[in-house]
Amino acid sequence: MFTTGSKLFIGASVVALASAIVYGTTQDNSTVGIIGLVSATIALVFLVGINLWVRDSNVSADDTAAADTAAATTATPPGSMWPLVAGLGAALLAVGLVVGRAITWMSIIVLIVAMVEWMVQSWSERASGDAAYNTMVRRRIMHPLELPVLGAIGLGIIIFSFSRIMLRLPAVAGAIAFSAVSSIVLLFGALLAAKRNVGRSLVATLCTIGAVGIIAAGVTSAVAGSREIVKHEVPSFEENTCGTETDGEADIHASRAVAAKSNLSATIVLSGGKLHAEVIGVIGAQDTVTLPRSGYSYVRFVNLDAEPRRLIADFGSEMVDVNGTAVETSFKTCTQAVGQDGAQFLVVHPVRPSNASEAPFTFNVPGVEGGVVTIVVP
Amino acid sequence: MSHSFATKPVQSNMTTVKKVQNQSGDSMTSNSTRRRRWAMPVAAVAAFTALSSCAKDAPQDTWQPAGENARKINDLQIWPFGIAGIVLLIVTAVVGYSVFKFRDRGQAIPKQSHGKPALEIALTILPALILIGIGIPTVSTLFELAKTSDTECVVNVTGQQWWWEYDYPAQAGCGGIEKPIVTSGQLVIPAGQRVLLRIASRDVIHSYWIPKLNGKRDAVPGRVQTLRMQADQPGIYSGQCTEFCGLSHAYMRMEAVALDTAGFKTWVTNQLKPYTAPTAGTKSSEGEALFITNCTRCHQVNGILGSDGKEVIARPDKYVYAGVAPNLTALMTRTTFAGAAFDLQTAACKTKLWDTPSDQFTAAYLEGVTPQCLDTVQLREWLRNPTAKKPMYADPTKLATTGGKYRGMPNLGLTEDQIDKLVAYLTERK
Repeated sequence: MFTTGSKLFIGASVVALASAIVYGTTQDNSTVGIIGLVSATIALVFLVGINLWVRDSNVSADDTAAADTAAATTATPPGSMWPLVAGLGAALLAVGLVVGRAITWMSIIVLIVAMVEWMVQSWSERASGDAAYNTMVRRRIMHPLELPVLGAIGLGIIIFSFSRIMLRLPAVAGAIAFSAVSSIVLLFGALLAAKRNVGRSLVATLCTIGAVGIIAAGVTSAVAGSREIVKHEVPSFEENTCGTETDGEADIHASRAVAAKSNLSATIVLSGGKLHAEVIGVIGAQDTVTLPRSGYSYVRFVNLDAEPRRLIADFGSEMVDVNGTAVETSFKTCTQAVGQDGAQFLVVHPVRPSNASEAPFTFNVPGVEGGVVTIVVP
Repeated sequence: MSHSFATKPVQSNMTTVKKVQNQSGDSMTSNSTRRRRWAMPVAAVAAFTALSSCAKDAPQDTWQPAGENARKINDLQIWPFGIAGIVLLIVTAVVGYSVFKFRDRGQAIPKQSHGKPALEIALTILPALILIGIGIPTVSTLFELAKTSDTECVVNVTGQQWWWEYDYPAQAGCGGIEKPIVTSGQLVIPAGQRVLLRIASRDVIHSYWIPKLNGKRDAVPGRVQTLRMQADQPGIYSGQCTEFCGLSHAYMRMEAVALDTAGFKTWVTNQLKPYTAPTAGTKSSEGEALFITNCTRCHQVNGILGSDGKEVIARPDKYVYAGVAPNLTALMTRTTFAGAAFDLQTAACKTKLWDTPSDQFTAAYLEGVTPQCLDTVQLREWLRNPTAKKPMYADPTKLATTGGKYRGMPNLGLTEDQIDKLVAYLTERK
């Protein structure tokens, strides 16, 4: 009465229904879970119905006319790799439960893929007596899923390999190498476009060689590790803090950060024992800088002198209520020590106008006589 | 005659049309009807387009540049618009012709061909040449608009929800400014001088735009962006924030006021005048006391003295999310308030000021808000309940996301008597 295929789904339906009952009776706030399991049950019962209706495409013993056309009588199904993949997934699941979550998730994905592929393959092999038609049916169902996923995976691998190569090559060599590669790709594409009768196998071979080459280079680069990447200066975002002067001397390659140099409120330069400001839009060296009140202003300190120096933004002091007690608090923000030709950012946030303080607000460099630039906060 | 034959029945009765068509089989009537059906909408769109381009009262018209920088942009845009218009006409005509000529009439599919190298190359090179032709002056203009080396006057412009603050650093430029000046709402500049705005923001991204004087420039927190500004003649030029910046973005307006060189010096002098306390015993004097009690937590009036004899320094950083509130030192020297959203003068006076010829504008503006022109209605409404005039986040029960700080001015719950006194005090700030 029950066909082989329908028995599988009947069993799965019963398990899903039992799971829904157990889950619903044992878990609080289980609405979503119950909906999922009941939905699975309904879907499986639907598949049972289909299987029973089509009788697994089995041919009745009495149907002599179908003896030559039924799939079971005309072709032996080819070997399938999906049982193997499903086994691998199950093994990975066991390993993942012990080792870690990442492997568990990977195994679940492998199992799902293997189950779907296996089921569709099994179904398609019995779809008709025509093996070619069966193959076509399987492709029609699975290719819209398989091709985008495989394409994305392939592209991901190539892009990842590409990134490893870029990280391994020196910055200049990387630019040159990939300009050359992209030129070759463009040339190759132009040649293909111009010569339309090029064989598919030739194109496929060349693409494969290219992809394999990139992946191999990517693997090699990943194993070799990335090149030394220059660390740029770290802005001092902490307000009112002046830690130890020598805590992490600023990077001497700071000037390479083009984006970081643009649109600053001011650049404070120490040169020849004197401090001056360069202000965007204002011509010439300045001894006064106007900063907006209550705004965050980015300032860059450049030390052109031999001695390592730090810059202090001094916004005076005021009485601050600390747990009911008025405490005189000074507002200073500092860079760390900056070596010769080095630079570091400072982020300042003055909230009082400068005329609220008896002492002027200043940028100053300890130990340097001429190291003062006045700050005006209107 | 055929025209009247075809149209009369249409106007009187559609049934008659059908009868005429059915009886005679003449398709002229239906064609004419179809044409008339299309003619009206097409004519309406054409008329609307044509008439809208003739708008006289368009203070933010980018096609009417009033300064060197806006003119450069205008000069640049005319040619690409022309070229783009010609390309549009050609493409539309070719597409229209192709669609009509080769429409499906049941004919056989014509012979298919693939590619026409000469045509393809030509159609690649031609747009490239057009783009190069447009690109050269565009890049050149971009560099000219980014130039800062010829600056004659510097103004720092800072945006916050939902108003603009202008601070003029002490400088030799602008004809000489001895002390910093802070104002809001109206940017006052010397006409004919190349002014450089250094634009930033205190909270979110805003965008500064006075269409008649230059293009837009975003105000980004932590960054200083420059924008050249020059007005040929004294006058007033309207603008508005063009980057959506929250609840009252639409009310974040600004006006640039250009004064002649002497007039600008006078304006600077007026801004730096020492504080004048109201006469004791007047309503204004009581208003001053109220101002100190209620308003100086956020609003600065330079030189105002507290009961201890020291200058009162506002600390908006403790109460306002942006950390600032408009400086009201010389409120009545400008003609608007609350982000240039509301007027301090009557509509008639405003119209008169905006229409004043450029050679008389400076004197007219420097008069400030005269008693004859003073309109306190909006100011009173504002003091009565600011959020009713301009939407702001100022409900004290809903400030959790800003750490208890306001974005905008809260309702201070002032009585009518207190409002009278504050208005009396504020209208003397000139």
